[in-house]
Amino acid sequence: MTSFEQATPPVVAVKGVSKGFRLYAKPLDRLKEVILRRSYHQRHEALRDISFDIRPGETLGILGKNGAGKSTLLKLLTGVLLPDSGQINCYGKIAGLLELGAGFDFNLNGIQNIRINGLLLGMTDDEINRLRDEIIEFSELGKYIHEPLRTYSSGMVMRLAFAIGIHASPQCFVIDEALSVGDGRFQQKCVQRIKQFKQQGGAIIFVSHDMNAIKMLCDETIVLEQGKVAYRGAPAEGVNYYYRIMSAAEDQAMLAIDSQDHGHQYGNRKVVCDRVSLIGLGSGSHSLTCGEQAQVDVVFSAQETVMDLTVGIMLRDRFGQDLYGTNTHLLGHELIISAGERKCMRFSFDMHLAPGVYTLSVSLHSQQNHTEDCYHWWDDAVGFEVAGTTGTSFAGVCNLQAQADVVVSKD
Amino acid sequence: MPNMPSSSQTLHDIKQNKPSIRQQLHVLLAFVRQDLIERYSGSLLGGAWSLVMPLIQILIFTLIFSKIMGMKLATFGADLTEYGYSIYLVSGILAWNAFSTTMSRTSKVFLEKAALIKKVPMSLKMLPLYIPVSETVIFVIAYLFFTVFLVLIGYQFSWLWLWLPVIYVLHQMMAWAIGFICGVLSVFIRDINQMVDVGLQVWFWATPIVYVLDIVPETMQTLMSWNPAFWFIDSYHQVILYQKMPEMSYLIATAGIGGLALIVAYKLLGKLEKDLRDFI
Repeated sequence: MTSFEQATPPVVAVKGVSKGFRLYAKPLDRLKEVILRRSYHQRHEALRDISFDIRPGETLGILGKNGAGKSTLLKLLTGVLLPDSGQINCYGKIAGLLELGAGFDFNLNGIQNIRINGLLLGMTDDEINRLRDEIIEFSELGKYIHEPLRTYSSGMVMRLAFAIGIHASPQCFVIDEALSVGDGRFQQKCVQRIKQFKQQGGAIIFVSHDMNAIKMLCDETIVLEQGKVAYRGAPAEGVNYYYRIMSAAEDQAMLAIDSQDHGHQYGNRKVVCDRVSLIGLGSGSHSLTCGEQAQVDVVFSAQETVMDLTVGIMLRDRFGQDLYGTNTHLLGHELIISAGERKCMRFSFDMHLAPGVYTLSVSLHSQQNHTEDCYHWWDDAVGFEVAGTTGTSFAGVCNLQAQADVVVSKD
Repeated sequence: MPNMPSSSQTLHDIKQNKPSIRQQLHVLLAFVRQDLIERYSGSLLGGAWSLVMPLIQILIFTLIFSKIMGMKLATFGADLTEYGYSIYLVSGILAWNAFSTTMSRTSKVFLEKAALIKKVPMSLKMLPLYIPVSETVIFVIAYLFFTVFLVLIGYQFSWLWLWLPVIYVLHQMMAWAIGFICGVLSVFIRDINQMVDVGLQVWFWATPIVYVLDIVPETMQTLMSWNPAFWFIDSYHQVILYQKMPEMSYLIATAGIGGLALIVAYKLLGKLEKDLRDFI
């Protein structure tokens, strides 16, 4: 056993696990297969030869596009699905926060549901009796705990579910996007509790599309691509790798920009913008870290010769609010373009916007403003995301890079 | 049961993420409780409903059939003759209800609990066990009322009644095992659920529960001795109505079919569990 060579034995050891699903066109095909002993299915390989292990106190982040095999992996880990080949050894209890509210019976009251849900999560009777009050307190349900669950709001149900899950005290937690429970304050309480669990030596397997959370919580990441481990290593690089495959596949849907994907455009088209891109120099994709240098390329071509062209950009947040804009006129460029010519204007700046989803709009017009002669105006031409922060973290919408010094008071 | 220490801290004992037997037993009991509470929570009469349904059933059949069937019953005492058919009917219907509900519900359990199976690691062998346990509770309550009725009409109880738990366990094993097989298959062929319910309807009328064996033609009577439901229903009749030992060959045959079905059920699950979990 390799575990003897390591300082601490793993909590979960996954060795060469593969899992495929049979896809049938109709249920009857399955019956035909049994009777006629011929294959009537197509095979979908969800996971191929996955190996990793996780030790006490470690947090492993799992990244991947939709359909990359994340959920299948989690289901194998919790034992809900069985692998085709390979081994999953668990030395201790694994509980999944993806099982939030499993087995909740909406006709029973909170107390009764704590019992059933707790038992399903692998708590013993003694543990449930001991922790009941703590769970009720954590869920903040107060006297409602004696009411049937059908009278609860969905937020209350999730709070109860999370409170039970987090008290199940397994050796390894599997968390699947479950942190978006309740209001902001309750979420913080949950994150606190998870950090505490980690400090006490608990292992965590964490799946999220929240790159910020991945960078904050994880020690290591695995990026799954088409069922295989495409990358394994530090979270920051893992996130970058993930973004690269995301942008390679042009999976724009990830960025929660409105469905009007190529924005609304107008202008007299004397000069036309052909292509706009925004990338981070570090990540090489449209997902950047706060503090990273961003590069905007605007490629445009002229139908007619224009003597006083101005190229402008505008960054907007998800509410459509203008955050920052500039143009070549303000930056002191005199642009002349002749008919048929094609040019590229590159803007470079440090991305100091706080983590979030943003859009970039582009304008081509004459002189300082676009009211006189607007050639081409392209709203929300591309979307981009800021995730995680390099350097000191901050609060608010942008990093103003404040300094703090102790000075002699003048009063 | 001895009070074992909390097992969650022993890191090396648990090699797999599988709950212990004790743990599963607790889950089983919780399911039984949930099942019983859920069935009647929010209703005014509560558990009494489990009695009202068979009672209505029995009343209807008694009113319609007692005059026709009453004559045909060779009862044990002249003073009980007027209740003869009722006793015949009740002993048969209570057993049949336990048998058919257990089979029907077990055949639906995997699809019904799909949400749970998809989320929580759970032994598929243990999961459907709560159904026969909960049905047994219902059966025992019904029998308590039946016993009160019998006491009131001056029925003489005998030691032969000790056969009843044996008969019950045997036919419930058969019901559960057949239900289990259908349950596993129904995940792949959903029509099986409907087939089971239709099949049970037919089976009910193909068994002398409402009517007596004497009214069917001779040829049919020999055919009837191949009906597994007839075996255990007749055993109840022998013990309760005629105060006789149940037919041993019937009990052995019931046990045999039940055991066989149980083996098939577990083999089938072993073969299909992985697919079942994928497919559900």
